[in-house]
Amino acid sequence: MMNRKRDNFFSRFILTIITVITVSLSCSFVHFSHAASSDSSSVHTNNWAVLVCTSRFWFNYRHMANTLSLYRTVKRLGIPDERIILMLADDMACNARNKYPAQVFNNENHRLNLYGDNVEVDYRGYEVTVENFLRVLTGRHENAVPRSKRLLSDEGSHILLYMTGHGGDEFLKFQDADELQSHDLADAVKQMKEKRRFKELLIMVDTCQAATLFSQLHSPGVLAIGSSMKGENSYSHHLDSDVGVSVVDRFTFYTLAFFERLNMYDNASLSSLFSSYNPNLLLSTAYYRTDLYQQQMEKVPVTNFFGSVMETIHTGSAYRGVSGKDSNRAKFEVSSDQSYDRDAKSITTSSDPEKQVDHPGIKAVKSGTCPHADLWNMIVEKVQRIKDVDSIVNYGFVGLLTLVAVSTWHSS
Amino acid sequence: MVSTAEIDGQKPKHRPIIRIGIFIIAHSFLVSVVCCTAGVLALLLLPVLAKKTYVSENALMPGSATPMLSDQDVSGATRFMNELTSPKLKSWNMGIELPRLIALHMSNLGGEVNYHKFQTQPNNFHPLYFFTSPDAEANLVNKTCQSYATNTIGIIRAPRGDGKEAIVLVTPYNPVNLTQSEVLSLGIAYSVFSLLTQVSWLAKDIIWLAADSQYGQYNSVAAWLRDYHTPSFGGHGKLHADNCRGASGMHGSKLDMFVETEVSDTFRRAGTMAAAFVIKVANTGEEGEQDSLKIYAEASNGQMPNLDLINVVSYLAVHGQGLRVKVEKLVSLLDSKWLNFIGEMLESVGKIARSLNPQWKFGIPVQEYVEGSATLVSSLYNQAIGVPTGSHGAFRDYQVDAITLEISPKLSSSNKARQTEFLFRGGRLIEGVVRSVNNLLEKFHQSFFLYLLTSSNKFISVGVYMIAFLLLVAPLPVVAASLFSNATSTNPNSQKHTSSSSEPFQSWRWLYPTKTIFLVHLWGAIVSLLPYFIYQIPECQPTSRLLIWASLSIFILAVLRSFFGSSTHLQEWVLLKSVTVSSLFIGLCLMSVINFATAEIGALILVPMCLMIKPWKIAGKAHSAFNLLLLTVGFPGAAFFVVKGAFGVQNGSGLVEFWYWVESLWAWNSATYIYICMVHLPCWVLCICILLHCC
Repeated sequence: MMNRKRDNFFSRFILTIITVITVSLSCSFVHFSHAASSDSSSVHTNNWAVLVCTSRFWFNYRHMANTLSLYRTVKRLGIPDERIILMLADDMACNARNKYPAQVFNNENHRLNLYGDNVEVDYRGYEVTVENFLRVLTGRHENAVPRSKRLLSDEGSHILLYMTGHGGDEFLKFQDADELQSHDLADAVKQMKEKRRFKELLIMVDTCQAATLFSQLHSPGVLAIGSSMKGENSYSHHLDSDVGVSVVDRFTFYTLAFFERLNMYDNASLSSLFSSYNPNLLLSTAYYRTDLYQQQMEKVPVTNFFGSVMETIHTGSAYRGVSGKDSNRAKFEVSSDQSYDRDAKSITTSSDPEKQVDHPGIKAVKSGTCPHADLWNMIVEKVQRIKDVDSIVNYGFVGLLTLVAVSTWHSS
Repeated sequence: MVSTAEIDGQKPKHRPIIRIGIFIIAHSFLVSVVCCTAGVLALLLLPVLAKKTYVSENALMPGSATPMLSDQDVSGATRFMNELTSPKLKSWNMGIELPRLIALHMSNLGGEVNYHKFQTQPNNFHPLYFFTSPDAEANLVNKTCQSYATNTIGIIRAPRGDGKEAIVLVTPYNPVNLTQSEVLSLGIAYSVFSLLTQVSWLAKDIIWLAADSQYGQYNSVAAWLRDYHTPSFGGHGKLHADNCRGASGMHGSKLDMFVETEVSDTFRRAGTMAAAFVIKVANTGEEGEQDSLKIYAEASNGQMPNLDLINVVSYLAVHGQGLRVKVEKLVSLLDSKWLNFIGEMLESVGKIARSLNPQWKFGIPVQEYVEGSATLVSSLYNQAIGVPTGSHGAFRDYQVDAITLEISPKLSSSNKARQTEFLFRGGRLIEGVVRSVNNLLEKFHQSFFLYLLTSSNKFISVGVYMIAFLLLVAPLPVVAASLFSNATSTNPNSQKHTSSSSEPFQSWRWLYPTKTIFLVHLWGAIVSLLPYFIYQIPECQPTSRLLIWASLSIFILAVLRSFFGSSTHLQEWVLLKSVTVSSLFIGLCLMSVINFATAEIGALILVPMCLMIKPWKIAGKAHSAFNLLLLTVGFPGAAFFVVKGAFGVQNGSGLVEFWYWVESLWAWNSATYIYICMVHLPCWVLCICILLHCC
């Protein structure tokens, strides 16, 4: 009896010590674990663009011009080259038939050479295949693939995926050889979603029957624009009789016309882009699929996808702005703390699960700032109090040792 | 009777397809009448069924680029033409100086230039080399220096191209007797060449072949192509030229000094040829408001260039340069009353159909129908003969798509401004075509190779025109089967006469007529080879050669007949006809694969003859007279004269003309000759045999 009583006492003592330790620690990473698990609240961290021209041969000059025009536009609006994956299936600029060697134009006035300096083509020629395209989206590369050829997006990324080429009902031709089906695209997007490779994704396709390519998409956060409905063709805009080919497609031409009026700081919304398409000028009906996208088109600026304009974050003190990398590092720190005491973790996670889900959202709404800022403040406080914690930890160790000693003595 | 009872007993077990077959064979007469009529009707309907042509290959993009030919190019061409026709040149030896002058201008423009000396080849008949390319016999010919001619070749290398492909422009001219139209065609080529040396968009090399046509337009191009495709190592080709250098005095003139540095005798090559265009200017001006363009496409054995090539040219000519595009047609047919009558019938049928349902649109106006038929007949005739209609035919032998563009200026074309305008037109047309073909990525393959033209923008594809032929030959196996089954069913009656033949071998009785037919076909093969030996007889007139040929053939036939004549049976004619008909069926089907047009015309003549034929003694008088008529028409020579007479293409007299015609068939390795000797003639002889059969 005595033994058992003593045992009880010891176990209670130890338990209290442990709870004291863990409660003090836990508060610090409660919010982080939440931030990692929930998508809806992840912050827009960066912008990526994947621009694909899928068709080769000289007479498809316009597809390369389309893609290069979009490349120029997103670069102008602020997406840096390292976050643009440019895939060009053929090299029109150096084609022997090109009257203007090493130049590509998207207008017969020849004012703008799209193939000037600083064009970084990530995938060119026969590298542009369905396989490589899907690898880029899903991030399943071979080890040797350099970082510049990878889509290194994260859960807070906004991605623009622009594709142009020859397509048909639920497929897009690649290289005149193989084709990307709507299933493949939907599957890749789903994988991206599960791997948290994007927050929002805008798929823009300029091809015949483009709308059919989106029919299989199910992943939330995806927005799709196609140049034509099922059964419709997408047409080229005009022929450059000097170069001897059509130089731009209608849908892309009017998209570019819309963006030419904008600069990086304009607040034009996605809905204004959508409404800018005139079926009489396109000779086809532009199609938008918005049911997977939660936010209102009127309130989303086009630069969310076509530029790299982050939401401005108001922080209490100067030079404490947070970036994706910093928050990652902070998380790493804490998790290393976490590994100190497994028991502690298991207790805390079970202690207040409801709070984790609800709180940050409310907090963010109340304070009107980014939840990251709050978290950061919390961490800072914890770090300041870390000396006390040290002593607590030490006490905990002493307690553990005594517990071990007592239990061995008791068992013997 | 027992056997028939057994067959009756087995009948219910037959599968439906066999029963249908038996039914058709039982009604073979009706089937053959219906099929033959339908076949002829389908042939007459072809102009109505013709479809509009369209450019099938995306890469071509004809007319998407504006022509760049400038005043400078044209004025250069005018100066070049003036030099060609200058009286100073006339005094010299034209045959030597003209190639030199052209070479000088080519190299001044910036092209790589070389001469190609070649020797003309006599049209000898070498049966052993019949289907091989002509170069096999080239080595046999002793080279003499008298008959050398000189092609001048200028090559523009594509500035950024890979040098693997080339486009060929050919201008045939006769340096001994240069005509104004040849000068014009050289001028057009010069202006285009001058432009193309400056442009930056070439992906294929350009070869300008100024072909010396004093020994025939075809020969010069064929000789050049032969040397182009058979690379000679160790300067073997050069040796021949060197041997003749002194004799021809090629390098003796003063002009030589200018050119010697740039022009070499080494044979220059570019890549594989994507397409070739023979540029000609018609001698006589056409009446009418516009300049017009005539396209010749038929190559040897009825081969046609890809339809896309014709489409591109006619599209650019009509929409780019406002030329009237024509295809060769049989002018004499335009006024024929029966054709007009059929046209009117079809038009009215079309109108009635449209009144019933506005969506049925198959009627075409009479004028269109008649013109379509005239073009179709000419197209069929040219393909059937198997002789190319121009020097573009030489390219087809190397699987290069080529056509001849014959541009004819309107009548009032003598003044200078008019000539400049004409040069502009022609030059821009050629430039557009070259630029379009330059865009090409692969060989021409998208559009049709097997087609008949009914106008420059309407064609009949193989799927449509085969129907007419298939309907014509369909009765042949049916009739053969029905005759055979008749012969075997009447077997018991004939048993009395041929008591010696035993029962199990009855079904093999068809082997006897087969022996006859084999011998007759063997005779046909011998006849086809006879001309080779006739050519060994020196100094012989065409008429006597023809007569020797005919008499030798008849003699050999008589000798062979002594082999098979003895074994004829009284009832054999049915089996003989049956086997004849089936051998004809095989022959026609084989020929339709090689040259459709020949098979079609052959079927038109032979099928009624073979189906109608009956021994003189069995058939009625009217029937026999009709048979005789068919037999006279069916004789190859007679058919030739009938066709000539009907279409009014008379040029020459009787036998001599026939001999030259046959000679041309040999010269062009035409499969039609083989067909006539190995299928048509034996079949005709067998029909005579059946007609004269004593029952």
